[in-house]
Amino acid sequence: MSKKLYDLVAKVMNVQSSTINDESGPESIENWTSFKGYVLLYELETEFKVKFTINEAMDVKKIADIKRHLKNHGAILND
Amino acid sequence: MTIEQKLSYYINKASELTGRTFGKKIRIGILCSFTINGLEEAMRVKSAEKNIDCITYVGGYNQYNQEILNHESNVYKFSPDLTFLIVDTRNILGNLFHFPYSISASERRSFVEKKVKEIQNLANAFTSKTKSKLVIANFPLPTYSPHGIFETKTEYGLHKMIEDLNSRLIDSFANSDSIYIYDFNGFVSQYGEDNIFDYKQFLFGDMKISLDYIPYLANDLIGYVVGHLGLSKKCIILDLDNTLWGGIVGEDGFNGIRLGPEPPGNSYLEFQRVLLSLYQRGIILAINSKNNYDEALKVIKEHPYMVLREEHFASIRINWNDKVSNMKEIANELNIGADSMVFFDDDPVNREYMRINMPQILTVDLPQDPSQYAQTIKKMNEFSVLSITDEDAQRGKMYLEQRKRSDLEQSAPDLESFLKNLDLKVLIKNANEFTIPRISQLTLKTNQFNLTTKRYQESDIKKLSEDDRYVVGCAQVTDKFGDNGITGVFIVRKENPKEWFIDTFLLSCRVMGREVEKGILGYIINKAKENEIERIKAQFIPSQKNKPIEEFLPNCGFQKDGDYWIYQSKTQFTIPDFLMVSVE
Repeated sequence: MSKKLYDLVAKVMNVQSSTINDESGPESIENWTSFKGYVLLYELETEFKVKFTINEAMDVKKIADIKRHLKNHGAILND
Repeated sequence: MTIEQKLSYYINKASELTGRTFGKKIRIGILCSFTINGLEEAMRVKSAEKNIDCITYVGGYNQYNQEILNHESNVYKFSPDLTFLIVDTRNILGNLFHFPYSISASERRSFVEKKVKEIQNLANAFTSKTKSKLVIANFPLPTYSPHGIFETKTEYGLHKMIEDLNSRLIDSFANSDSIYIYDFNGFVSQYGEDNIFDYKQFLFGDMKISLDYIPYLANDLIGYVVGHLGLSKKCIILDLDNTLWGGIVGEDGFNGIRLGPEPPGNSYLEFQRVLLSLYQRGIILAINSKNNYDEALKVIKEHPYMVLREEHFASIRINWNDKVSNMKEIANELNIGADSMVFFDDDPVNREYMRINMPQILTVDLPQDPSQYAQTIKKMNEFSVLSITDEDAQRGKMYLEQRKRSDLEQSAPDLESFLKNLDLKVLIKNANEFTIPRISQLTLKTNQFNLTTKRYQESDIKKLSEDDRYVVGCAQVTDKFGDNGITGVFIVRKENPKEWFIDTFLLSCRVMGREVEKGILGYIINKAKENEIERIKAQFIPSQKNKPIEEFLPNCGFQKDGDYWIYQSKTQFTIPDFLMVSVE
């Protein structure tokens, strides 16, 4: 699941998947604009078939936060 | 149904477009009352897929009023060809969006009245300052009303307000050739209000169109680009087995194919109905099928549930030849460019073969499920046009007449006796309110027999026709088989008391090869003589497609003079005697 998540982040942010880790976020990824942050959230919702709450959406500061919220919604994480 | 890409695909793809070269170019302005990130990227990528370089300008957030009213604003500096104005219902209604019943019905009426005037004023201010066409999105009708199920019993309620506003907008600009109304409300109902409008996206990021649907919106808006640039497809070429009917007539037989009111035959019936409606709008239909001619034609002529009959097809190729050679023959026979053609075939191998050999043709990926055929064609933006003229509606009939002409031509001993037998009449008409849309359309669409390939929008033609220094006219060509409609255009600029200049001279491919051009040129020369003009100057601007007109000027007695061609009015010019030229 980490790979699936990292790949999606890499695709949306248009960077190499290998550069993504749990600590990645707007600070470390140059392409991460606030708009791309929205795009990422909505594409995650489709990909993992979940719906984040507005509080969760606002709380995302790094990939680890996304993982946490995905787990809360029962998305299956294989790692 | 075509599967749409996610928005991130377009955002990333757009960044790779810089430095690429394209065949056409368009500048698009987007003025919006809300955040609409991603739309410009999706439009640029979708334009690039059609070989169009799309340069965009997106106005500041909710700045559309200032941008339009201020002469010096960035949108005017950007100088767009096409501008979209998208204001959402919340914005236009203000407080009344939430509280429509805080005021009386008559106050609601005056409110709508006021808003219509505001939009009219904005639109007129815009078009007075720029040549850009303006496309105004109408207002989506929210399903919710505080009156709930009583809404439909409410006098001039919230829903009625928006419907009235939308219908008045259409009426306001019905006769304008520079202002168009985009049915944004239709877009929302097509994909569903709950999908398009996502409260979380709206409250979190002020996004009033859900990100997943922005590419679909771009698809709709690209229709205007296609129409504006005159890139609309003109002809649909159809396979037969498993495309127009289910099954294979050669194996299943006349009675065994699936076509009729029951499933699955009704899928094909539905598809044929959409095709017929496009035919009635002016799209030409043709057949390219591997089949036994007699067997397949019997279905077309006699099957009780065929919607499309022989008369609807401008060209028919039913044989065992290679589909690519058939396609080339069809293009030749109809005299239209492969880039105006769309091919429907259920067989992926045939499609791939066509794509490789004739990439200019748009080969559509028909879905495996025939129940989706009708939807597939309805979703295409490639047939978008900004005007539909009388000629368009008659086009199918004209091509049928053309088929009869070809038969005569083949039976005639030589070209001249064919032309003599044709009873050709050329009627010269001035540019006026009836002919201007068609004149503009011909300048936008004609490639082959076009001396200068100058493109003019309706508003340009209108201006030129009102200018004393120009003569703008067109020619309607008829013969014994029927009316070809307005198929020739000329624009002459009066340079000085002794010289005229041919700015535009073109002939639709429909009437090429009948020396009609000599009738039109003869008219121009005679008119010049009447005005004591000594010289007529012309220019041939070569393009990739206008080779057919290359020899026209020298053949008509023009002498080369640097980059130009000169005709001395005293030279004798003879209009072929089989042409009857008259002036309306």
